[in-house]
Amino acid sequence: MLKFLIKKQLLEVFRGYFYDAKKNRMRSKVQVALWIVFFIVLMVGMMGGLFTAMALSLCEGLNAAGVGWLYYTLMGFVAIVLGAFGSVFSTYSSLYLAKDNDLLLSLPIPVRTIIISRLITVFLMGAMYSAVATIPAVIVDWIITRAGVVRILGGLIWLLIITVIVMLLSVTLGWVVARISLKLKNKSIVTTLIAIAFIGLYYYVYFQAIDLIRDLLANAASYGGRIKGAAYGIYLFGRTGEGDFTAIAIFLAVTAVLCVLIWRLLSRSFLKIATTKASAPRVRYQEKTHRARGPLAALVLKELGRFTSSSNYMLNCGLGVLLIPASGIFLLVKGGEICEVLDLVFTARPDTSALLILTMVFMLSIMIDNAAPAVSLEGKSIWIPQSLPVSPGTVLRAKMVSQLILSAPLMLFAAICGAVILKTSVAVRILLVLMTLAFSVFSALFNTVIGTKLPVLTWTSELVPIKQTAAVAIALFGGWFASILPVGLYLLIGYQLGAALYLAIWTVLLCGIDLLLLRWMDSKGAAIFAAL
Amino acid sequence: MLIIEHLTKRYGEKTAVDDLSLHIQPGEIYGFIGHNGAGKTTTLKSIVGILRFEEGRITIDGHSVMEEPVACKKMLAYIPDNPDLYDFMSGIKYLNFIADVFGIPADVRQERIRKYADLLELTNDLAQPISAYSHGMKQKLAVIAAWIHSPKLIVMDEPFVGLDPKASHLLKEMMREHCDAGGAIFFSTHVLEVAEKLCDKVAIIKQGRLIKAGTMEEVKGDDSLEEVFLELEAE
Repeated sequence: MLKFLIKKQLLEVFRGYFYDAKKNRMRSKVQVALWIVFFIVLMVGMMGGLFTAMALSLCEGLNAAGVGWLYYTLMGFVAIVLGAFGSVFSTYSSLYLAKDNDLLLSLPIPVRTIIISRLITVFLMGAMYSAVATIPAVIVDWIITRAGVVRILGGLIWLLIITVIVMLLSVTLGWVVARISLKLKNKSIVTTLIAIAFIGLYYYVYFQAIDLIRDLLANAASYGGRIKGAAYGIYLFGRTGEGDFTAIAIFLAVTAVLCVLIWRLLSRSFLKIATTKASAPRVRYQEKTHRARGPLAALVLKELGRFTSSSNYMLNCGLGVLLIPASGIFLLVKGGEICEVLDLVFTARPDTSALLILTMVFMLSIMIDNAAPAVSLEGKSIWIPQSLPVSPGTVLRAKMVSQLILSAPLMLFAAICGAVILKTSVAVRILLVLMTLAFSVFSALFNTVIGTKLPVLTWTSELVPIKQTAAVAIALFGGWFASILPVGLYLLIGYQLGAALYLAIWTVLLCGIDLLLLRWMDSKGAAIFAAL
Repeated sequence: MLIIEHLTKRYGEKTAVDDLSLHIQPGEIYGFIGHNGAGKTTTLKSIVGILRFEEGRITIDGHSVMEEPVACKKMLAYIPDNPDLYDFMSGIKYLNFIADVFGIPADVRQERIRKYADLLELTNDLAQPISAYSHGMKQKLAVIAAWIHSPKLIVMDEPFVGLDPKASHLLKEMMREHCDAGGAIFFSTHVLEVAEKLCDKVAIIKQGRLIKAGTMEEVKGDDSLEEVFLELEAE
């Protein structure tokens, strides 16, 4: 039974790799392999590259100072933070909010078997997040120190310990979130705010990291000695990566004890939390006249209602709502100084700063991609829009407009802030704003189109359509690629045209693509949606 | 009102509905019975435009479901066998959403919501999120949503499942009232006693093919509908 449940869990998490929703059939082995390679390239290339650079900057200096253990300690903490905080909310959802909890609990399956199968998913998600930091860390260390068998073995055990710690932390934090959620009134809003606070803290530490690393490398031996004296456990943790058998034995034992404790906590509380509904106060209905709206407005409001009802949805597809206006204010405060420096750096390519401002706004806008999972989120309720007297094109337009409502005004604000601080021609400033608007429409259309092309309607946790589908991955990485393309081409050849003409061409091009995407959405997209 | 001509729907190699023809007149409650997997839900979904079909023609008041889907959907309401509604909305928001899409003026919808919610005893729960509703409450909400725009044709898939005896009785009265006012109802059911008492006409489907249809008297004669159904199933 456990084997079957684990298989079900894994199939759900990795469904997009094995199943072609469009053709309603399993993918071939070649297609599966290509999808997996694509994912690995994205993870290793984008995130792994970041942590490889971090590992390279730390490893040699710390080993030369004789505190190689500190390298493993630091990289270990980074991986734990990344893994645990990256998966804490998905842990809560996949453990306690899975739609098939009731079904499985009604079957003659021991509760512990259900918990173990859920934990495997949590373990894998945490492992995927933490591996982005741990794998580059051990590889860099092995190469730089020319590691022997003992060090390699130590590195592998360090990696395993971290993965288990990440799972234990995720489960503990998920349990805390679940306990709080049972008592909260505006659950989705509070959960989102807590998560944003965590993310803010994470990025604060991340941006301080360069200074911290520089300071640490300059005083490695001194810090190492002080940490070893004051917190011997942290020293031992780092020593596991270097292959110290005593440290390995102690940490394996500590991890095993923690596993037992967390298991006891989970097995005692799982059933209660998974089957208890939040104690929301009963709202009494008071009749009042509702303002009548048109079908499109009703559908758009429905989409926005769906968005604000779920912390998962808001966190994963709406972070840009905070970051874009923050970037606008940042531009007003610091933008002038930064642009002056940029103008000095790119003297041969004038107005590069305008293109870089665009890139920043575009990249942040990609973090508003609520249209990408919107079709998949219809799930079993898809019969409602399909049976209502609205064309499928109108349903898709509503999804597109809901993203546009969230992103376009904020992007416009940030672009105007950029235009204000730029020391350039009026034409460039106006085109900066116009191109931003054209890009916001492009992004909303592209996400709707990709969400319609690659829908996943059969899911038991909303995290699947929100985080784990090919549509969302393509929206994110494709969007980032589209964001950097204009500045990349400008630096290569575009500058020869002059910024005004270059931006004008891009604006017209984007408007053209917008029209093509709109046409596709209204014709082929509508046909696909009607046939789902 | 509803004309189904030579409807054929295939899922890959399997023919779910095979050359089915039916005619439902205004004022009729038309029952649709058959064993599990006979093709009832497929037929109902084809009528309401959720499923595309390969062959045949379905028209509602002269409008083709395939060619004028929006015009057809304006005239009909659909209640599926398992009402998966928008859990993130409250009951009242869902009803207003449906009313908005159908273009029902504010005063008219308010009156209808009051009437049907009071009748089905759901008024006190309208402000609650749908996620907190039981299956029966969702079914009641789906019924109110169907009636809110006064459709000409109501298509229902097992509408009595999950309803308590009182709500079932009320729904039957609502169905009769709707048809007496000139509307039509086409619904599937496994409860043959209900079909026998409630329906003006009945159609029996087996393995995708229509095996008997007509007025209740024509179909069952002096026997009970259950006897006729079991006899036809055995053939």
